[in-house]
Amino acid sequence: MTDRQSTPVGRVVATELLPASPHQFHFWTATETPVGIGAIVKVAGEPRTVYGVVIDAKAYSDLDTPLNDVIAAEGDPAGPRAPTKRAEIRLWTANVLRQMPEEPLQPVPLAPVHTATPADVERALRMDAYAQAVPSTAIPIGRYQTGGTRAPVYLDGDFLLGPESAHLNISGVSGLATKTSAVTFLLQSIFTHFPAERGRVAAVCFNVKGPDLCFLDQPAEVLPEDRELYEALGVAAAPFRDVRYYAPYKADGANLNTLRTHAALMEAVEPLVWGLNEVLDFHEVLFNRDDLDAKADAFLDFLADRVVGKDFDDDWGNHHRVESFADLERYFRAIFDGLETTGRSDIWRTHHVATIRKVRNRLLNISTRCKGLVADDGVANDLPFGAFRDRAVYVVDVAGVDQLGQDLVFTRIVSKLREHLERRDLGVEHVVVFVDELNKYAPGDGPETYVRKMLLDISERGRYLGLVLFGAQQFRSQVHRRVVGNAGTAVYGRMDPDELATPGYQVLSPATKVKLATLPKGELMVRHPHFTQPIFVRFPRPAALSGRQGVERFPPAEEVPFDDAVARQLAALDHGIAVNTVKDRITGRRQDDVRRALLATRRARPEDPLAFFTALLGNTVPRAVVAPRRGVPPLKAVEDPYAS
Amino acid sequence: MSSRRALVRDAIRRAGGVAADTVPLGRSPAPVTTPFATSALVEGDRVRAIAVGAPTPVPGPVGFLDGVQRHAVEGHVGVAPVVRGYVAAAVLERVDGMLRVAALAEEAFLALPLARLGSDARDAFEATGLPLYETGEERPHPLLDLSAAAAVVQARRERVERDVGVDFVARHADARLVVDGGLQAFAGVPGAERLLGVIKSHETQFLAGGDQLTALTLPAGSRSSVFRRGRDVPAAMWTWYLRLHPWPAHAILHGLVRIERAPGHHVVAEADAVSRWILAERAPLAAPDGRWDRLLYPIHEVETFLRARAGRGVGE
Repeated sequence: MTDRQSTPVGRVVATELLPASPHQFHFWTATETPVGIGAIVKVAGEPRTVYGVVIDAKAYSDLDTPLNDVIAAEGDPAGPRAPTKRAEIRLWTANVLRQMPEEPLQPVPLAPVHTATPADVERALRMDAYAQAVPSTAIPIGRYQTGGTRAPVYLDGDFLLGPESAHLNISGVSGLATKTSAVTFLLQSIFTHFPAERGRVAAVCFNVKGPDLCFLDQPAEVLPEDRELYEALGVAAAPFRDVRYYAPYKADGANLNTLRTHAALMEAVEPLVWGLNEVLDFHEVLFNRDDLDAKADAFLDFLADRVVGKDFDDDWGNHHRVESFADLERYFRAIFDGLETTGRSDIWRTHHVATIRKVRNRLLNISTRCKGLVADDGVANDLPFGAFRDRAVYVVDVAGVDQLGQDLVFTRIVSKLREHLERRDLGVEHVVVFVDELNKYAPGDGPETYVRKMLLDISERGRYLGLVLFGAQQFRSQVHRRVVGNAGTAVYGRMDPDELATPGYQVLSPATKVKLATLPKGELMVRHPHFTQPIFVRFPRPAALSGRQGVERFPPAEEVPFDDAVARQLAALDHGIAVNTVKDRITGRRQDDVRRALLATRRARPEDPLAFFTALLGNTVPRAVVAPRRGVPPLKAVEDPYAS
Repeated sequence: MSSRRALVRDAIRRAGGVAADTVPLGRSPAPVTTPFATSALVEGDRVRAIAVGAPTPVPGPVGFLDGVQRHAVEGHVGVAPVVRGYVAAAVLERVDGMLRVAALAEEAFLALPLARLGSDARDAFEATGLPLYETGEERPHPLLDLSAAAAVVQARRERVERDVGVDFVARHADARLVVDGGLQAFAGVPGAERLLGVIKSHETQFLAGGDQLTALTLPAGSRSSVFRRGRDVPAAMWTWYLRLHPWPAHAILHGLVRIERAPGHHVVAEADAVSRWILAERAPLAAPDGRWDRLLYPIHEVETFLRARAGRGVGE
């Protein structure tokens, strides 16, 4: 990296009222200057060199009062132009990024100011410590391109993915595609640059809005300026190579509840289906604070310990083996019927019947509200916990799922990730969990929810496990402060001015706020533990299709009847399977049986999916007309000897 | 019931005068050393007020010259004061409305009664490397010595002003040079016809009677007829008054400047055009300088530049 000494563009000035300090200084430049808000500058003192970032600017003339200008113009704004332009000053304020030497820390010297060279940028942001290390943990997040200098800006992988600091939070107004684009690029950058010596890394992205993340594996047109940026940052201008999509079914249990249903893309889409076991472990999500009292908790423990997945005999001679929601419903029915027929008290095995009914309602409610995600029959299809692949993206599409279902999906997947990371058997050592709409899942106010507790837990303890939260939201101020506060790296796209007026942004200068409020697409402000001040960077547009582009190029398939949907899914496994053949095989079969066979086929991914599927369905029993049996003739009538 | 102020203003009007806004006089004006001088009219037979027309910026390249001086008593040898002086002059050239330095001269020196000092003392001062100038008083007098030193400082300032002016005119063959003050020091220099002197102070009155009244009561945007300084000095500068800003609400000299040019009959022919150029320099206003009504903004900028270079002290 060259370190060409540039011509000075300014000089540090200090007065009693406007002194230079160890953390801030002021300098003037000519009126025509490459310096602007966000520019990194170097004060070339001797022997002290100071790097700073411009945070504010003022311009003023020697005009003592506006009235003087009125007098000079003789009261006419359109009056003759003055032959001499008034002397004018461009006075800039910069916050110190770094002083070299760092000790003793002293005020900034009154010395010439230069725009930073690429080498200066690296030193100013303390990137030299990790960009030049072996192995390098430098992760490009964009390019600094202010003040006529272009230089890559790197995050430290150890501070982005742990064990130091970790987590990233991104804010910005909706609709500019900045947040999703930035995270997409950053994930590509991580996958490209995160050193193998630091472990394997994968990403789990929750798609909570429309088709946002549904086409990460599909190439987008890359404009020349973006291609140049990709090259400069050492990231291939290509979509993700290894992406798996998980989406629950719709209520019919056959059509997938996602916008990625185009026939050409179905191969990478897996149904996300959970049974009773998967749900019961996370029953806290289904209950609100009022529901989950000690009594309900005790009964749930009873269910988990004694009933679910075990042989259980009730008090009325019934044997239960509860494996699914259907079994659970039968179990509850048996209890209520037993209590009713025997006329016993309202207490069953120390549990009040009202508690039992409440637990029943909440548990069975999920199979109704999240039909498609939760299968009655107990067969599950899940993310490949234990077999996560290095540099793979797992997109969980819950955009069409009920809020309760979203909470459940989020909580369970994150918990499973945590469990596996603790056991070091997930398949990778680091997982980035990307959650958009963080203000919905971890709001700063409102009732305590299990999801928020989970997010707080990741934020505060996830880095030790390699569980890293990349959270995004429109309004950072509305997200729980411990969630955003624990994010070592904060990224800002264009911000809403009202949001910028909230106390969390007080550290930013008015000029920086103005720049943030008008930030063009593709530009970000980045805060990172190594940078003592926020830095503006430009990143390339994603090389993968955006959601909007994706649905235009790959329109979602029409929702089809059950048998067509099953045929479509089998055809995704083997393009040679004819729709009519599948329809013939499932004609007259119970839908639950077909679903179970389909799910098992998808999970097994056999050589011959149709044969495997057919075998699971089993032989059909032909319909037969049963002839009515002859009845047993009545006993011969005998007169009642007691009749009088 | 009328106030005394109203009574007085009414009386002024009845006496044929012009009432002004009340202009408080903070202190007595400084003594006038040369109150009167002679003159000879070169345009017409009496001084008239001539409207010069709409302001027009100076065509082509133009520079503005001014100088500053500082001096301070650094000590005494016996009763002889040792005065350190600093003078500087600069020409700022206007290019696309912006002023930039085109010529600059500075000098730091000592002014002291050398003749009264012993050789050891003279050697000591010569060792400073600073030029030494004689203040010339034979008999010690603390105040006269200081006055003499001040005169030396002023002379050195006029000298550096002349040097940068001559240098600028020589190097910019087609440029005009607007000088703060009179042009006597430039008499006979090559290119003197391109110099315009703008005099803000009116200590010396060149006209009398009706001519004086006409000249000193010019309306804004008007000039007086051109006259020559000194009745019998053919080489003397030709000059005229010009009113930059309306005066009736202020003192009579408000906004009044006197323009000087090297002698020549073209001066009369060009007087209107030159006046329009100077009128155009009213904007921007040279405020907050107290002389804003007569001080041209570019001259003010030269002064600001030189003061900024000199700092607070005596050209440290």
